[in-house]
Amino acid sequence: MNTPLPQRLWQRFTRTRVGRSIFRVGLPQSKLERSQAMVSSFLLHVQPAKVNRHSLRAGYTLGLGLITLYLFLILIGTGVLLMFYYVPSTQQAYDGMKDLQFVVSAGLLIRNMHRWAAHLMVLFVMLHLGRVFYTGAYKQPREFNWLVGVGLFLLTLALSFTGYLLPWDQLAFWAITVGTSIAGYAPVVGQKLRFLMLGGHTVGQEALIRFYALHVIVLPALAVLMIGVHFWRVRKDGGLSRPDEPGDVVGQVELGQVPTNKTYGLMELAQGTTPQVGKNPEDEVFAWPHLVFRELLLFLLVVAVLLFLAIFWNAPLEEFANPIHPPNPAKAPWYFLGLQELVSYSAFWGGVVVPGLLVTALAALPYLDRGCRGVGRWFARERIVANTVFTICVLAAIVFTLIGSFFRGPNWGWVEPWQKPPVVTEGH
Amino acid sequence: MNHPTPDNDVSRRSFFQLALGWLAGAFATAASAVAAVRFLVPNVLYEPSQRFKAGKPEDYPDGSVTFLEDERVFLIRKGNTFRCLSAVCTHLGCTVNRANKGYHCPCHGSVFNDEGKVEGGPAPRGLPWFLVTLSKDNRLLVDKGETVVADKYLVV
Repeated sequence: MNTPLPQRLWQRFTRTRVGRSIFRVGLPQSKLERSQAMVSSFLLHVQPAKVNRHSLRAGYTLGLGLITLYLFLILIGTGVLLMFYYVPSTQQAYDGMKDLQFVVSAGLLIRNMHRWAAHLMVLFVMLHLGRVFYTGAYKQPREFNWLVGVGLFLLTLALSFTGYLLPWDQLAFWAITVGTSIAGYAPVVGQKLRFLMLGGHTVGQEALIRFYALHVIVLPALAVLMIGVHFWRVRKDGGLSRPDEPGDVVGQVELGQVPTNKTYGLMELAQGTTPQVGKNPEDEVFAWPHLVFRELLLFLLVVAVLLFLAIFWNAPLEEFANPIHPPNPAKAPWYFLGLQELVSYSAFWGGVVVPGLLVTALAALPYLDRGCRGVGRWFARERIVANTVFTICVLAAIVFTLIGSFFRGPNWGWVEPWQKPPVVTEGH
Repeated sequence: MNHPTPDNDVSRRSFFQLALGWLAGAFATAASAVAAVRFLVPNVLYEPSQRFKAGKPEDYPDGSVTFLEDERVFLIRKGNTFRCLSAVCTHLGCTVNRANKGYHCPCHGSVFNDEGKVEGGPAPRGLPWFLVTLSKDNRLLVDKGETVVADKYLVV
């Protein structure tokens, strides 16, 4: 017998009374057991028993959505741990951060992981959005799921922004002062909204506890709910998008109509004389092991990269928040620096009108761009107009972000990053 | 239902039942939403008072521009006149720095002149001037809740 030892032990365990009661199916051997393994497991049943080969191609999805999910899970894990030491009080918050950094065992590592995972999650949500756009995956019948995705994108930014205040250092204080002031420029409700966000007129204890409550329960709970809806709809909309092929019934789902010709029952798995549902059997493979093992591998990769980052780079922690002296220059988190650059021209146009229009355009996109061609392929020629417009917007965002990040020095003056920073004298 | 009605018709009774049900539901939802938002708006603020004493007039030398950190204002003396200028940038609330001439904001590069007027950058308005009076015990009294025009002075 040449089965490896862990596998033999696992098989022996799943044959015991206790093991059988938990797992029902042991390590799947037959095709039937492979499908049962997916269907009977709570954690795995979110996924289909069989998946299309196209959906497994790493070059199609790049695994971006899954990476985002893993980062979110890691953020929940590390975040809950940080909550055991963090106190949301202007007197104690900063000391808690110092404790985490210098006193608590593995505190530094866990805080670093939380910080880098948060930055990476923002990045990967954006990349995932780009992937879905460039492959035309938001088209019918997936319009609503695109909308849920846009909501999750905004939620990720909100989660990151609320977390930004919590260390109560200079970086936190001034980023939130500037960020909430931008909200104050919104027409009619702006000042009221800012007051509601801060629970007062300035960033203080009331603002800290509000941001804390939003960051640790309200927004994560919303995100979990919406991620659930997002995944549910991926299944209900017929799996991942792919190019239309003859006999592919999934691509023909009409608006407001539940696809009844696709079943998820086990009869789908039968081969030979029994009816085939939906697809040619050779285009689909069993999720166990083809999908599940790829997912596991990607998870290990994400954890490895994150550990590497967290071990070699520390999360920033500046001086204790000082409401009197803004750092010069005072900068928002990187994903808002493009916005901050726009705001330096005009708070209303750059801070309210441009982002408002962009979000509206993103949300309305699948209902405006209704052509059905070029779905399931990167940079399809049929979609050259949409792709060009999107690329111009993305490039503009990148340029403004780069300017805000590297070309802005003291007093938001123009500096060139390869030159020595100018010395400013502050005379009070 | 006692009176059979055509499929697409609604009897008076079921219409009122439906209307009442929906109204009650809508009212309950709206009331909960209003109460929740109202709950989040604080009724009492623990913020420092807008009026403060800034010491004796003779504490400030002639021709000086003094930054009062805790209050985020500049106290300006010229001869025997006193004025008080806000140090909070009207753009996004950063504290402006005194430059050789005028004031500079470090966050988005707004520039104000000595009179608080916008010289450059994204600030939508000039820095406001606050009312300065003299208290009975001969202390300068600044009221940040009361803005005044730039050429209103306290003469001591």
